[in-house]
Amino acid sequence: MSLTVPDSLADKKEGEFELIDRILSGGHELFYELIAPYERRVFMTAFDILQVEADAEEVAQEAFLKAFRGLRSFRREAKFSTWLLRITLNEARMRLRKRREVSLESVFPTYEEADYAPILLADWREIPAEALLRDETRRLLRESIAALPENYREVITLRDLNGLNNAETAEILGLTLGNTKVRLLRARIMLRDLFVERLGHKTGNRLSRGVRP
Amino acid sequence: MKLDCKHIWRELSNYLDGDIPPEVRRDVEAHAAQCRHCAALLDSTHNVIVLIADERRLELPIGFSERLRKRLEKELATIRHD
Repeated sequence: MSLTVPDSLADKKEGEFELIDRILSGGHELFYELIAPYERRVFMTAFDILQVEADAEEVAQEAFLKAFRGLRSFRREAKFSTWLLRITLNEARMRLRKRREVSLESVFPTYEEADYAPILLADWREIPAEALLRDETRRLLRESIAALPENYREVITLRDLNGLNNAETAEILGLTLGNTKVRLLRARIMLRDLFVERLGHKTGNRLSRGVRP
Repeated sequence: MKLDCKHIWRELSNYLDGDIPPEVRRDVEAHAAQCRHCAALLDSTHNVIVLIADERRLELPIGFSERLRKRLEKELATIRHD
């Protein structure tokens, strides 16, 4: 792992800051240029949390609007993308909360303290790699992500789907680096279990719940 | 150091991210070579992470950018930052 920021990344950040200066001094049209590289990431983040395309699109639009309105308050210690994804996450959370109020759904347990034993699966390697590329498998993965508790879904979305690093993920979630790693570990194991269960169900594999050693 | 299964679970994420000291990496790999459950756990979790990363290539809904632009247009014309 390298501690220095590659030149291209630093240049990109500088370029963005310059763009933001120009937007703030009246070049509003340039906002489209600023956000263009992030449209997909903002939408995917919202979609992974909300699981409904129309809701995700609305939340993405809201997030971009808020980013525009609040652009002056953006502190340049962070990357623009990190700041933008934090706004997106907050918008998506608000939308989820509203949905719950409507449906009177009970609050998910957070699982943060729960000790978790992964499902034992010894014959994963017998599942050919090509099988992973099939649409059906992707659907099962989507289902598995949707089945995660909210706090796990968030960390997976930021870290593994968006490809952010641990520090950026921690910053967006407002967690320490250590807590982010712990949450990520549990989220990954649970996601893998949910996925394996679905896959096993489909292929008729017999799975056994692990006994904690 | 000899690690037990529970240690492997704890190091799983860091191991897959390459965020682990070389000696712990060696211990994890030594354990996985002996324990088929942990080997499968490492492999399968790795595969799931790869699969998620693959989802990054998903397309935006058709017309997404146009609708976004439309929604932003009014705002961009009325808001003043100074």
